[in-house]
Amino acid sequence: MTLANLRGRVAWIFEDEDFDVDQIVGVKNIKIKDPDELAKLCMAADDPDFAEKVQPGDLLVGNHNFGYGHPHYPPMIGMRKLGIGGVIGESFSPGYWRGEIAMGFPQVICPGIIGAVSRWDEIEVDWAAGVLRNLTAGTELPIEPLSESDKQMLEAGGIVGYLHAREGEEA
Amino acid sequence: MGFTIAEKILARVSGKTEARAGDELLAKPDFVIAYDFPGYTDVIFRQMEEEFGIEKVAEPDRYALFIDHMVPTATAAEEDLHEGTRSWGKKNNVPVYERKGIGHQVAAELGYATPGAFVVHFDGHISQLGTFGTLAIGVRRHLLEAFVKERIKFQVPETVRIDITGELQMGVTSRDVFHHIVRELGPRACRGMVMEIGGPAIEAMSLEARQTINCLAMFTGAITAINNPDEKALAYMRERQKLDIEPLFSDPDANYHARHEIDITNLEPVAVIPPSPANTRDLSEVAGTEVQVGYLGSCASGRVEDLALAADVLEGRRIKDGFQLYVIPTSQEIMEEAASKGILNRLINAGAFISSSSCDYCFGRMGAMREGQKAVSTGTLNVRGRMGSPDSDIYIVNAAAVAASAIEGKIADPRPYLAAAKEKVPS
Repeated sequence: MTLANLRGRVAWIFEDEDFDVDQIVGVKNIKIKDPDELAKLCMAADDPDFAEKVQPGDLLVGNHNFGYGHPHYPPMIGMRKLGIGGVIGESFSPGYWRGEIAMGFPQVICPGIIGAVSRWDEIEVDWAAGVLRNLTAGTELPIEPLSESDKQMLEAGGIVGYLHAREGEEA
Repeated sequence: MGFTIAEKILARVSGKTEARAGDELLAKPDFVIAYDFPGYTDVIFRQMEEEFGIEKVAEPDRYALFIDHMVPTATAAEEDLHEGTRSWGKKNNVPVYERKGIGHQVAAELGYATPGAFVVHFDGHISQLGTFGTLAIGVRRHLLEAFVKERIKFQVPETVRIDITGELQMGVTSRDVFHHIVRELGPRACRGMVMEIGGPAIEAMSLEARQTINCLAMFTGAITAINNPDEKALAYMRERQKLDIEPLFSDPDANYHARHEIDITNLEPVAVIPPSPANTRDLSEVAGTEVQVGYLGSCASGRVEDLALAADVLEGRRIKDGFQLYVIPTSQEIMEEAASKGILNRLINAGAFISSSSCDYCFGRMGAMREGQKAVSTGTLNVRGRMGSPDSDIYIVNAAAVAASAIEGKIADPRPYLAAAKEKVPS
């Protein structure tokens, strides 16, 4: 199996380092479980029309240590419901990273991404070539390779599929 | 080039003679630990059966479950969750520890923190087992892998070595040391790596004080923390440890991602300002801020030394009228020790509300704040909504500063109180 490339527009750039993802839907909404409700809340405090503007495949861009703090799952459940295809960051907080990879949600480490893209630029993550292309600007940056297990987990769509894929292996 | 303690432990549990940072291994955790929580354990139990057809785990002694959140229960649904955990444990012959305290502490008391062992949990605060030379990692939803498979795929992490030197001053605790590390090195200094911590100031500390630091490793970005176990740690575990394995230690020429040395001699009490664990300041910068709630407890703080220090601050005084001071010892074993030493009496006399051990005060299930309230807390975290309303604020401070602030109803420096107590009772 190979990992499908990601291609879409930059729907949001989280400029803050150590960004706490709970802010995406707001802490007061963090216990909501309904994906539709969460989708409507995504970034609503910053851009009330965010949910309308996003198209399936659009991507998020984050700064260093994205997901720091005490990350909960609902914000990215909402983002996935909107069709967001993944997050490209300078670097990620390991707890957040593990949580979202287990959900099968692509996360891409791309040093230099902040400053290399603007909101609504068309970008592409080419896993095989190991690059992120800014198709709007005509530039590209290297991405860091995924570990073997992270890659397999994304290919399998999350931890359950990943563990099924490993059912034949020796204990 | 030598090896780090983390590399050695992961080599051992992967059946390899050696492992280096970056290697991807199939590692067999010595222990798989979880507390019951909706969305984690109930989902894991269901997925094991429905997705993978696993009726029972093969080696029940490798698993341990704790009931420490939602204790005591407030709703029937919570009791249903606990009952599901108890019956899963019974069916699987897996021990379920209940009403013994916060699992991360009780796991140490029960000997799961065997020096040299590899432990996984979904919750990152399990890192505190590193106090005993155990590599204990919170893997979030990947914990399912450890319930379904004997071995988990695991990439050997790099290690950052931090040496702490100098001497702690009165009224300054290991809690301040941890937040000072974040201030000095930044909230991503150990991102994705192991925080190996040692040096003379750590060696001089009690195990409790080290547990505090190691518990909070995640706020440096680390996936866990570990100490090379000294005689103090090994002696504590000798009678308790569950496995008969040799402790492991980093080689003097181990390969570290980075090495740092921090002198704590001039460290003052700190406050971590809401709403991020990255915001360490000197407590003096926020002294005088009005606060209505104090929480002394959690898996990070709330052990005997913390309770005794708070009792010293409160000696012969009362907390301010209307102030809510919650004191929740980290485990029942700790509570018993604090009671037998008369520490609890002193806290009660000062007006503290004392409860048996529970995680619930740390995440706002109990003692929840309303909009506009502010707390001083030794809980793990100060993000918005952690202790009630999203519009309440949490200032993380050490146990002594919680007590001093409870007297004044304002964030207060504990040192004058401790100095006064010392004058009264010359040691």
